[in-house]
Amino acid sequence: MIPASFEYQAPKTLDEALRLVERHGDEAKLLAGGHSLLPLMKLRLATPRYVIDIGHLRGMSYIREENGQIAIGALTTHTEIEQSALLASKCPLLPETAAQIGDVQVRNRGTIGGSLAHADPGADYPAAILALDAEIIAANTSGTRTIPARDFFVDMLTTQLHPGEILTQIRIAPRRAQSGAAYEKLHQPASGFAIVGVAANVLLGEGGKTIEQAAIGITGLSARAFRAEAVERALSGKHISEKVIEDASRNGAEGVEPLSDLHASGEYRREMARVFTRRAVARAIVAARGGA
Amino acid sequence: MKLAGTASLPAPPAEVWSLLTDPSRLSRLLPGCERLEPDGPERYKATVKFGIAAISGKYAGTLEFAHKKPPNSLILKIDGKGLPGFVKGEGRLELRAKAGDTEIAYNGEAQVGGLIASVGQRMLDAAARKIVHQFFEAAKAELASGKGAASEPSSLGQSHARGK
Amino acid sequence: MTTRFIGKPLKRKEDPRLIQGLSHYVDDLNLAGMHYAAFLRSPYAHANIRSVDLSKARRASGVVLALSGTDIDGAIQPVPCAAQIPDMKSGARPVLARDRVRFVGESVAVLVASDRYAARDALDLIEVDYEPLTPIVNPEKAIAKGAAPLHAGQKDNVAFKWELEGGDLKAAFQAADKVIKQRIVNQRLIPVPIETRGVLADYQPGEGQLTVWSSTQIPHLLRTQIASMLNFPETLVHVVAPEVGGGFGTKLNVYPEEAIVAYLAIQLGKPVKWSESRRENFQATIHGRDQIDDLEVAIKRDGTILGLRCRVIADLGAYYQLLTPLIPTLTGLMMTGCYKIPAARMEITGVFTNKMATDAYRGAGRPEATYLIERVMDLVAAELKKDPVEVRRKNFPQPKDFPYATPTGLIYDSGDYQKALDMALKVADYKKLRQEQAKLRKEERYMGIGISTYVEICGMGPSSAMPAGGWESATVRVEPTGRVSVMTGSSPHGQGQETTFAQMGADVLGIDPSQVQVVHGDTSVVPYGIGTFGSRATAVGGTAVYKSLQKVKEKLARIAAHIVGSDPERMVFANGKIFAKQSPKKSVAFGQAVSAAYVAKTLPAEMEPGLEATTFFEPTNFTYPFGTHICVVEIDAETGDVKLVRYVAVDDCGNVINPLLVEGQVQGGIVQSVGQALFEEAVYDEQGQLITGELMDYALPRASDMCWIEAARTVTPTPVNPLGVKGVGEAGTIAATPALAGAVADALAPFGVHHVDMPFKREKIWQVVSKNRRRVQ
Repeated sequence: MIPASFEYQAPKTLDEALRLVERHGDEAKLLAGGHSLLPLMKLRLATPRYVIDIGHLRGMSYIREENGQIAIGALTTHTEIEQSALLASKCPLLPETAAQIGDVQVRNRGTIGGSLAHADPGADYPAAILALDAEIIAANTSGTRTIPARDFFVDMLTTQLHPGEILTQIRIAPRRAQSGAAYEKLHQPASGFAIVGVAANVLLGEGGKTIEQAAIGITGLSARAFRAEAVERALSGKHISEKVIEDASRNGAEGVEPLSDLHASGEYRREMARVFTRRAVARAIVAARGGA
Repeated sequence: MKLAGTASLPAPPAEVWSLLTDPSRLSRLLPGCERLEPDGPERYKATVKFGIAAISGKYAGTLEFAHKKPPNSLILKIDGKGLPGFVKGEGRLELRAKAGDTEIAYNGEAQVGGLIASVGQRMLDAAARKIVHQFFEAAKAELASGKGAASEPSSLGQSHARGK
Repeated sequence: MTTRFIGKPLKRKEDPRLIQGLSHYVDDLNLAGMHYAAFLRSPYAHANIRSVDLSKARRASGVVLALSGTDIDGAIQPVPCAAQIPDMKSGARPVLARDRVRFVGESVAVLVASDRYAARDALDLIEVDYEPLTPIVNPEKAIAKGAAPLHAGQKDNVAFKWELEGGDLKAAFQAADKVIKQRIVNQRLIPVPIETRGVLADYQPGEGQLTVWSSTQIPHLLRTQIASMLNFPETLVHVVAPEVGGGFGTKLNVYPEEAIVAYLAIQLGKPVKWSESRRENFQATIHGRDQIDDLEVAIKRDGTILGLRCRVIADLGAYYQLLTPLIPTLTGLMMTGCYKIPAARMEITGVFTNKMATDAYRGAGRPEATYLIERVMDLVAAELKKDPVEVRRKNFPQPKDFPYATPTGLIYDSGDYQKALDMALKVADYKKLRQEQAKLRKEERYMGIGISTYVEICGMGPSSAMPAGGWESATVRVEPTGRVSVMTGSSPHGQGQETTFAQMGADVLGIDPSQVQVVHGDTSVVPYGIGTFGSRATAVGGTAVYKSLQKVKEKLARIAAHIVGSDPERMVFANGKIFAKQSPKKSVAFGQAVSAAYVAKTLPAEMEPGLEATTFFEPTNFTYPFGTHICVVEIDAETGDVKLVRYVAVDDCGNVINPLLVEGQVQGGIVQSVGQALFEEAVYDEQGQLITGELMDYALPRASDMCWIEAARTVTPTPVNPLGVKGVGEAGTIAATPALAGAVADALAPFGVHHVDMPFKREKIWQVVSKNRRRVQ
């Protein structure tokens, strides 16, 4: 449980961090909360030559309203998100998801930026971020750019972040009236990762009897988290009924190659995607109607 | 671990065959290949640096061709060891002409041991599929550009995500 | 004797230091000049070693020594096995592999460096040329025709065959109305104590003294073995078990690392420490269970069990550790459980495979026995469409039948199984549970009720039946200042004897528990002891303490009587005084009598000075705690998730010294069983790779997985020791797995399924439900 030797650097500003990251490229890893990187290093699965600690950078941990959006700093911890009053009222899906990550110790140290950049196939946030159509802000030495959540997750442990970029912020639109969301997760009992995790974000029509729009983010099922567009299409514009939800949920795993490992076969994951999509959508509808 | 599937390459089987069995070109297809040199008839020594994002390691071993039936089928055997563990595998490749292109059917088995087997189980399948995918993508690029391909060994493209 | 303290729920003396992080585990110990050892372990399950090149490692910064199997050839004896099974084959493990490795994690080389980082880094510089061989992982394939033997000179992979038979089995099966057959699997487990293993060794060349600190349950046995393995004088070996963070049987053993680290310290003349990583612990510390049982039971239509036959395949791993072959035989001894089954037979085939050795893990063979017999009772009930409670009751012996002789050759000391069962049924409100179940089934909700009536064998045990002695020692010494030292050969590592033995000392001598200091784990201080395992510390160790206390008490009584002029037989010890029963004014302070023993001016004639007594207590029998557990689960048919709804535990461990500790043991044991039933499984793939290699992939039960445990007790003292204490350390683990298994099978009964092998992982249950949906009645 002893990492290979490495050089530790603690830049004092984001600019300094960006310069270091650009200079060292492949040989460096960023350290924020450490709960993804350090286990890999202790197992010697990851052996970076440089560890650039950005965990103490000021001004990167916040949850605030800005220009009609909610902006969350990359270094905000899962616990801070879980306990945020602002998010509880304006974007409850995120605290609900954060509360189901790992355990207390992981939540106290892990950061949303770190988790998203690591893109573990069993991580929880990706499902929520996709269902919320969030924007991810990445900084590099030439400036910043905005990456839509839909494009962010490329493959297992692989995102759209280029070498030399640091994820600095996540932006989410506050919830609209008549909308509701829920995150349903089947967890792997040893690690707490999602075997399947479904975040459903629904916008109801007039009178709350139809689904105007649905966004479904699914994690754990395959190498990368994705939007279950087939489910979304099957729900959009429909009159709400158990059958509609049930039928739409059947498409949860459509077009996706499920992971298969010692904890869950592809067949089981596919079936659980259906079950948990149904549960998440049903609960999201209840939330949209004003029930808890 | 079993791996099976098909891929389509934009060239006729004879051309694909010559790409697969030419070590100097093959080395550009193997993800992270740093060295591929002859070690006997149909045998090559290889060093490969492979990884996904933060998880990477160097492996040294051999690559062997067997049961060559040009231009339609061959068996590829690999045997590699590194600090993260060892991989031993064998795969059959079947090439079939399909309207000017080649359809490759691959069917193989790999045994994985050491560190990556004991702690990496949940990612092994996906990692293997990724290697295969990158292999064929590199093959497509190599065939598309003809013989004037870049001389650097292919690396992992966008998988430089930062572990945090 | 007053019982001011015995029977009371005193908080533990151990806890303040544990909770505040003030205790010293092996890794907390630091000696000047200390170096660190690291082991290189095989990544192959089966391979020849062509060569080991240590040259680069030896040159690495900080490295002072590096050794392979050939370097130490002959210097250290193989890992000892104390179990003796007739005609068992040799399964001895060399401390470092020389020509061949036989399981993933087997140690191949060791190096020592000035710090643990250098040690770990240098491991990567060792080059081993392996020639991989085909691993043998499936025990049934290992003994199939043509399978290559794993050990040189052997013709197959049968390590031993063992059988036990009692009663007239032939007649039983002939008289049967029905014969039920079932194959069950008791899966391999990784024990996971919080503290992994660790060894610190120091050799002082001047005095020739070797001191070894090890996270062990058996300091004296370890001392003897280290002396033997290193051919080193036992009188110059000092072993200390510092604070030990849980053992559960894994540390009831002698490991290669213990001998090697001692050897390294002697070679270097510097202290050497080794701390096991979790991954090493998973690969190279003993595993538990791993049996395949083929059962056949002969029954009468009215539910009477006539006979039981069982064929067991025990997957032992590649080598023996200390008690490996013995463990499955304990299953044989207890196979008839708490039932009057007149005929029984067990055949065990111990099998070598390319895995880590199995050995004693909390329950050690008895969980397997209770599991198999309780599954039998449930299957009988399902077959005859009877209530599983009634089938059990029908086959119980009556209290008057005790001591009860089993066909397996045991004599159960005392028992009242009906009483425990009735109490459990009452606490659970069993009738109401069945009514609720019927109601829920109509709503397509699947609730299951599992019963486990168990008896187990512990208080290990009469030496005639134990591999290396089953007695226990205790020296009680009252110091001149009146404080009492209790030196026990027991070696607690969480069990709480520092508290319970102090309670005993206080009551016997009429003083306060704070005056009694219990000392253990140090071979230089404590008389030779066998150690703590097999739920024996109180039953056997406590009895030795009790007898020594009585000896000291008797001497003090004579001294006090002599001082006050009274009859030594009529002295009372209470509240720090010793006084004559019939005239309490004739009294001396406890301290005064103690002082007299040392100052030795007013002693009775012929009495030796001093106040110390030693007992080596040999128990005449094992003890047999028993009880009834009832478990209620609900299965989510959509996901296969098993939720624990209720758990009732009625246990009878005889007399109780500290109810808090007994509850703790029962709770801990039950939770450990929940682990086996719902989550845990050590998985080796076809290549012999341990793919459940870290806690990320091996799920342990957590508090949030548990429901409240409703615990109650019946008390049936044992006649085997004067305390009437049976032992309770393993009972929870033994009782609970069958209760859970029974509950899950009961929940699945509407699907026509009556047995599912553990662990009841979600996907497995979901498969059962999905495949059998159409059979729902």
